[in-house]
Amino acid sequence: MNPSWAVFRKELRTESRARNGFFTAGMFSVLAVVAIGLSSFGQRPSESLAAGMLSVTLLFSAVVALPRTFLVEEEQGTFSLLRLMASPEAIFTGKALYNFFQMMLTSVVLGVLFSGLVGRPVEVAWLYGLGLGVQAASLSSAMSLCSAMVMGASNRWILAGAMAGALLLPQIALGVGLFRVCFGEGSLVGGIQCLVGLAGYAVALGGLGPVLAGAVWRSE
Amino acid sequence: MTFARGVLLLGMAVATVLTFVLPPAKGFREPDLARIIFFHLPCAFMTSGLVFLAAWQGIQVLRTRSPQLDVRHAATVELGALFGALTMATGILFSKVQWGTWWQSDPRQTSFLMVLLILAVGLILRAAIGDERRRAAVSASYSVAALVPAIYLIFVYPRLPHITKESFHPSNTIAQGGFDSAYRLGLISVFAMLVGLAVLLYRMRVRVGQLELQWEVTNGNVDDFGHGAADSRLVRPVSVRPERGP
Repeated sequence: MNPSWAVFRKELRTESRARNGFFTAGMFSVLAVVAIGLSSFGQRPSESLAAGMLSVTLLFSAVVALPRTFLVEEEQGTFSLLRLMASPEAIFTGKALYNFFQMMLTSVVLGVLFSGLVGRPVEVAWLYGLGLGVQAASLSSAMSLCSAMVMGASNRWILAGAMAGALLLPQIALGVGLFRVCFGEGSLVGGIQCLVGLAGYAVALGGLGPVLAGAVWRSE
Repeated sequence: MTFARGVLLLGMAVATVLTFVLPPAKGFREPDLARIIFFHLPCAFMTSGLVFLAAWQGIQVLRTRSPQLDVRHAATVELGALFGALTMATGILFSKVQWGTWWQSDPRQTSFLMVLLILAVGLILRAAIGDERRRAAVSASYSVAALVPAIYLIFVYPRLPHITKESFHPSNTIAQGGFDSAYRLGLISVFAMLVGLAVLLYRMRVRVGQLELQWEVTNGNVDDFGHGAADSRLVRPVSVRPERGP
């Protein structure tokens, strides 16, 4: 079996037994959307504001849930054992794939809830769906890279979030540009440009991830 | 070295005087106060150059695992953050004198703040990891990864059509010939002096880093504060409190 696929299946099996990762992310997403709905009760947020709120909620859902797949290995003392079974690149790829899967589920839940609760209907549904998918890919690749790097650092949970926040600042800008169009503001061409930019960002960080994580883990 | 420092000091003095005697640029609300661009623009160029240099040195560190190269990489990262902070500070001053507020929330101002935050996280990351080998690898990897958002924020985002339309940043003034040849000479002079200053600071920081490395090689075996375990044969005097009886 391909080692990356084996790591992905291992993560999936662990999650299916404990279920804390997906439920944590899911609960955070629901709470965030409900809080936004409550704070904007009786008002209709503008397209840009709604796009900004959705992008930031997606970012924080990723920051809360995704580092766990990497950092829990170190805290449980199982990372060295895992390193004996597969190469650093395969471990990273498997875990990043799992993070993408989890983030996709979170994005779908969050996207549906957001469009229903916040009072801003989606005008371009296909772009909205694609945008959520590409955002999930971009967020999971950046969060996986940051989590892999901060293993062994002090305050690693906060550090992973701070690092990812910095690396994902352009992604937030692109996400706002994309979802603004989905909610009916701006030109479709501009939205598609943002979508392509986000996809490029996801591919760049996703391609760098295994190489850089391998380089860091081999330094031990 | 002393002669070179003397020449640099003299050059900086001449360049600074030059920025005050040149005729003011056209197209600004306060043309005389727009002279801050003489320092703001070269600092921004220096920051961009240092971000690229840090990524290049990061690749070299990951390839060779050399502690000497890590010292150089750390110096570049620190200088990048320093020039980034200077760019931000001079930009904020420019905003106050030309636009009337310290913070305009201009897209160019915000995008450069993001670059500065990316550089600051690089410094925090170095401080958070105790083990030298791991710190070198993580910091180098971060510099390589940070190049992706930095390129977007420095070169792509400010040139997007809706950003150039909304931004107050005087990029158009510069592009439309607001600077005459004398003004450009002033800019190039200050830029040259800042490059000289950066080289001087870089060499000093690298020298300090190399001395730290030497010290660690000499004394590494008696240091157990995150720099590897002490030699097991070494016996150190410890103070033991006498146990109190019941």
